[in-house]
Amino acid sequence: MMYQYFKDMAAGIEAKILQDPELPNPRKKYALETAKLGSRLYSGKDRVAWCGIAVPFDLLNAMGITSCFVEFVGAVLASTGMADPFLEEAEQAGFVGDTCGYHRSVIGAARKKIMPEPDFLIATTCPCSGGIAIMENLAHLFNKDLFVLNVPQEDEPQNVRYLADQLKDMVDFISRHTGKPLDEDRLRQTIEHTNSACAIMKDAYRLAQKVPSPTNGSLLINFGIAFPLFLGTPAAIEIAQAYKEEFTDRIDNGIQGVPDEKLRLLWIQNRIQFKNPLVELLEKEYQANIVSDELNDIYWDPIDPDDPYTGMARRAITYPLNGSMQGRIKHLHKLARAYSLDGAINPCHWGCRQGTGARGLISDGLKEIGVPVLNLEVDCVDKRNFAEGQLRTRIEAFMEMLESRPRPWQ
Amino acid sequence: MPRKNEKIGYACAYTPLVLIDAAGYIPYRILPMGECPDQAGQLLHDNLCPHVKRILDRAISKDLPDLAGVVFINSCDAMRRLSDAWRHVRPDDNIILLDLPAIADEAAVAFFAKELTRLIESLSEWSGRRITYSDIETSIDLYNKLPDIFAKLRERLRQGKLPGGSTRMQTLYNAAMMAPFKKSMVNLQQALAEPELPAPVTDGIPVFLFGNVLADPEAFTLFESCGARIIDDDLCTGSRLFTPLEIDGNKDLVLQISRGLMTRSPCARTFDPSQPLKMAEDILKRTRASGARGVIGQTIKFCDPYLDRLPAVRETLREAGIPLLLLEGDCSLRSIEQQRTRIEAFIEMFV
Ligand code: SF4
Ligand code: SF4
Repeated sequence: MMYQYFKDMAAGIEAKILQDPELPNPRKKYALETAKLGSRLYSGKDRVAWCGIAVPFDLLNAMGITSCFVEFVGAVLASTGMADPFLEEAEQAGFVGDTCGYHRSVIGAARKKIMPEPDFLIATTCPCSGGIAIMENLAHLFNKDLFVLNVPQEDEPQNVRYLADQLKDMVDFISRHTGKPLDEDRLRQTIEHTNSACAIMKDAYRLAQKVPSPTNGSLLINFGIAFPLFLGTPAAIEIAQAYKEEFTDRIDNGIQGVPDEKLRLLWIQNRIQFKNPLVELLEKEYQANIVSDELNDIYWDPIDPDDPYTGMARRAITYPLNGSMQGRIKHLHKLARAYSLDGAINPCHWGCRQGTGARGLISDGLKEIGVPVLNLEVDCVDKRNFAEGQLRTRIEAFMEMLESRPRPWQ
Repeated sequence: MPRKNEKIGYACAYTPLVLIDAAGYIPYRILPMGECPDQAGQLLHDNLCPHVKRILDRAISKDLPDLAGVVFINSCDAMRRLSDAWRHVRPDDNIILLDLPAIADEAAVAFFAKELTRLIESLSEWSGRRITYSDIETSIDLYNKLPDIFAKLRERLRQGKLPGGSTRMQTLYNAAMMAPFKKSMVNLQQALAEPELPAPVTDGIPVFLFGNVLADPEAFTLFESCGARIIDDDLCTGSRLFTPLEIDGNKDLVLQISRGLMTRSPCARTFDPSQPLKMAEDILKRTRASGARGVIGQTIKFCDPYLDRLPAVRETLREAGIPLLLLEGDCSLRSIEQQRTRIEAFIEMFV
């Protein structure tokens, strides 16, 4: 079922791109790569690894492994409106509704056997305790080998070394399963691809920061979370280039992402994955533009192809959801300034302790620089309790408050 | 030099108590007890572990003795957020967060040893006195006497010969979590010197209790009043905190402390990737070894490390034919009391 779904999706997007191949079409190119990854995961032909979010996917790409973080499955199920039976399956198996909806739906999907069996699994302690527990469950369910990457909290030289050494062990673990050693030249080329894609994407983000912004609340949805999956491949460069071109083109031609943009917002952590009217409400009724998501950022330095493990380790350690809240708030401040934000929306995804557990600290941290935060109460994956009316009222009140105050960056 | 009776707060069973003692401080477990107003939910979130929220409430309400510092462990997301929130509400406190890997292989043990070295440096800085190798050795010697006495008391409890039963046992654990080692040893030796019950208590269904935090001794009285006799436990506020550290005088001491802490009977947050969900088998083994007829799992609401592993425990015990009752609490006695009928019904199954 899923293989066919992704295959059809890829074919449909490809046909649309071909209708006007000269257009940059960034969102379509990004969706196409996502669909292609989906069909590779389900094809039964590739070597597949189910992973945690902080795995260096470029390294796995260099080793020819089709890999993906497991939360991707939850996001896809939710966005296609198919998550409910899988959430119910997990709950029946004892995974209670208080846990993260991404993880519940993944467990449900695995139990209902709509998740392809991996060759092995690689878990990461970042970003959450729930994620690592789910990987342990999946390793048990699939009866496949599990490798764990402990991502230290702070960016200190000995911590970077510890993670870099684990990455080398991970390479050995993968080689043992594939029977193929890592091709050092291919790794070097992969890292160069990563660096090129990130440099271009950095430019694209810089363009998105313009006032008014060429982006809108949907163009880069979930981008910072999923883009790392393609790192190290030419596709990542192509996607980044398409965004850069699209934004350049829009700026040159005076096209705004949200016509008559009045307010600029940041979306904290994850989007609501199922279909919902909130972005449209913001854009149409308040000319409020979600100019960035918290994770839409190239926050790490280019990786040295002569010492790739150190750079990859630092990238994982400095992931905004890793480490102390001081670091996360510093990153939010950086985004607030770069994007001239008026406010931020924190969905407070039910079940996410690391994220919602920081609710008050994030609000206070952004308040310090004059950026108010709207905290919602929502499960980003499980639509069964979605209280649209309540959320609307809260958003309306927040927007009215933002409209009635001086803009912080003027 | 630390002042007399100066304390260092901690909140997790992975805390290296021996290092706090070696620095001349009293390790003081900040238990999630007391009647502080509920404020932490505002700063954190209502769906965060009540263990952590209650500790933060105590910090906000200043319901704590004077602390020279607090040692946090990165045991789970909630604990990470607790250390962040603590810094926010008590910015002048000395605090440190020790990073604890999720697995306990050699590299992880070496990494945690470096974290322990960082703690030694912080404690030395806070106290103005360098901790020496022999300070640590002395503390280990002292500390290692406690688990042995506890093991003897637990055996008495198992045989129904400990006066006061599991309520008493928890009172002893709580005292040892907050008193200097020397004082704990005297307390425990006194308890051990007391005569055993002449006629062992045999009423009540023998039950193995596992989970995370359950510190209120009254909770054990409540279990017993429902007909459950807790004969052994695997709790962060119980047996898990006091296990001996095996030390070979010729090897790196800090590394050995690290290994001792990381390889002791793990809570759900530490696991062996080569044996996923082994925790369920471990609970089964401990249950069988204790002679318990049933198992009660008492966990704190919103605790992901446990929530996501309980289905496997349920499955394993079901296959083994051992009845299991899962209770979810918020660290208050009230939350257990509310489940009295369920506990009674569970016990009735055996009668
Ligand atoms: S939403 Fe939170 S709990 Fe869920 S996968 Fe992401 S970080 Fe983990
Ligand atoms: S009870 Fe669970 S969530 Fe709470 S601090 Fe302990 S391990 Fe973390």
